[in-house]
Amino acid sequence: MLFKDQVDFVRQHIKKNKLRVFMTVLAATMGCAFLIVLASIGFGIQDTMRKEILQDQAITEVEVYPNENEELNLEEIKSVPHIGAIVQRTSMDVMTSFHLEDRTIQGNLQLTDMKEEEHSNLKLTEGRLPQDDSEIVVGYHFAQNLWTDGERAKVEEGVEEADIPKGYEKSIIGKKVSLSLQPYDANTAFPEQWEFTVVGVMDNPAKDWIVDQSILMDKLWLPELTGSYEANAQQVPENFTYTTTKIYTSSLEHVKSVTKDLKDMGYNVYSVSEQLEQIDVFFMAFKIGLIFIGTIAILISSIGIFNTMTMAVTERTREIGVMKAIGASPKLIQRLFLMESAWIGIIGTVLAVIISYAVSYLANWLLPMVVGAALGEDEFSDLSITFSLIPWQLVLLASAMSIGVAMISGWRPARKATKIDVIQALRQEL
Amino acid sequence: MIQVKQVNHTFLIGKKGKEKKVPVLKGLSFEVNKGEIVAIVGKSGSGKSTLLHTIAGFMSPEQGSITVNGQETANLNETERAAFRLNNFGFIFQNFQLMPGLTAFENVELPLKLKGISSKQRKVSVGQMMDKVGLTEVGDHYPNELSGGQQQRVSIARALITNPPILFADEPTGSLDSETEQDILLLIQNLNQTLGVTFVMITHDEEVASIAHRTFKMHDGELVKGDIR
Repeated sequence: MLFKDQVDFVRQHIKKNKLRVFMTVLAATMGCAFLIVLASIGFGIQDTMRKEILQDQAITEVEVYPNENEELNLEEIKSVPHIGAIVQRTSMDVMTSFHLEDRTIQGNLQLTDMKEEEHSNLKLTEGRLPQDDSEIVVGYHFAQNLWTDGERAKVEEGVEEADIPKGYEKSIIGKKVSLSLQPYDANTAFPEQWEFTVVGVMDNPAKDWIVDQSILMDKLWLPELTGSYEANAQQVPENFTYTTTKIYTSSLEHVKSVTKDLKDMGYNVYSVSEQLEQIDVFFMAFKIGLIFIGTIAILISSIGIFNTMTMAVTERTREIGVMKAIGASPKLIQRLFLMESAWIGIIGTVLAVIISYAVSYLANWLLPMVVGAALGEDEFSDLSITFSLIPWQLVLLASAMSIGVAMISGWRPARKATKIDVIQALRQEL
Repeated sequence: MIQVKQVNHTFLIGKKGKEKKVPVLKGLSFEVNKGEIVAIVGKSGSGKSTLLHTIAGFMSPEQGSITVNGQETANLNETERAAFRLNNFGFIFQNFQLMPGLTAFENVELPLKLKGISSKQRKVSVGQMMDKVGLTEVGDHYPNELSGGQQQRVSIARALITNPPILFADEPTGSLDSETEQDILLLIQNLNQTLGVTFVMITHDEEVASIAHRTFKMHDGELVKGDIR
């Protein structure tokens, strides 16, 4: 029998029992949709947590800390394969004030190697990276926190959020700012001033509450700035400088090996991938649990398919007998019934996938508003929380399970159909 | 064409564990030649239906051999027997055994579908066959919209559509009135003469048996009289 004719045959029989097949498809749809939606909660929460972790940290970033009273051996670290950049940022234990016209800001000055910053793919929202040591890059909020003395005094008195001064509103790129140093315990700044040109503005931090008013300056300035401090204050305090080291691997898949190599060297290492790994393990178990519960729904729906197919075989005993009498092979009879149960599974699954995506979309749109309203926080609805996420792998897994279970449910009735005795079947009353 | 040699068969009747053996076919041997109409007659319970089911391959005899067109059919497995039936046999049943959900045309078309014939070819073949059995006008009618005679014609058309060399008829006119019975018998004779199809009929009606070239009479599982004509 041609495949097309087999499909036609199955279609004709389904048409004859529309309501019963519809109810069975509905049960299969509900089972499969329940599995997908339930598991999508696991995927959604995991995605939210991953995003939260990755927001402010590049996934290829590995933080390295030396042990107490030890130093990092950069040469040794450089020998680790697949390292893309080693970024060391040094800050000083002194107030660093930057001035532009009548405006001032106490920025977080960090001295670094610009070449390494470039290799680490430092992202700028505006401008470019410095090309010589007279150029600097500033944080995203640097300009808007450049206040006049009057504005600062007003802020210190306390103002509404809407009344916070806007700072320097023109473009900061190309502007010359001057730096002065002032110890925390002194009332006045040192007389020396250094002038720099702002050539770039760093990216807006992903977390809303972070205010980035840092300044990246070439590390060549460190001896001069330290020397100035020493000249004015007679001595440089212990721990005057503090250096953080971040290593960027050449690609994502090397984070694990680089982390391991650095740990083997005896350093304290932290990488986001480690944290993600722990989260992934937890969520893997969580998702397996949800899928297991969802599978029970699919198994319950399979009882419906089994009943429908058993009824179909019983009702069509005489027809099956005639088919066999005129030459239909048992294999063909079996295939026709399996196709029917598979059809129920496939239609049920397709509907389930469509419904699941709709439910998922609705949940992600509606739930933040509902939760926000319940908690009385307007901001909650603005947060990008994923309550439900349906990756293609979940669709594939649920589809395979749903169609597979439908076919297994139809297997026994189909086998029963092949075993129908022609003589007995032909004797059945019309 | 058909050789039946020493065929024996026993049914087990009664409750499980307390079954009684009832012999239904007792050492039957006969032959059917190509192009013949053979009638097997006998009372109810004489074993004529069991004999037909055995020759047609619906069941295997306990003993003996059945050879059709040189092929020993008793040893074939179920799939092989189904394929053999599809290619060699046609069936006409007393209560027509048409598919209620299919039209007359689709019922006739069914064996061709089982053979994997394309829909284009099927349309031509079925059209010709419907014409041959006088059913052109009712091709799109469902079985319950047809008279008994028309249903039996559909059944005959379905049996002949694959051009089988042998056609089995189990009480072919058993559900028909006498006028329609005559029509069907004439049709069978006509098809036998024009197409050269071999007919093996089971009947208890002497009039039906009268169109046969040879008649075998069965009693208690044995042939008591053969080759009447």
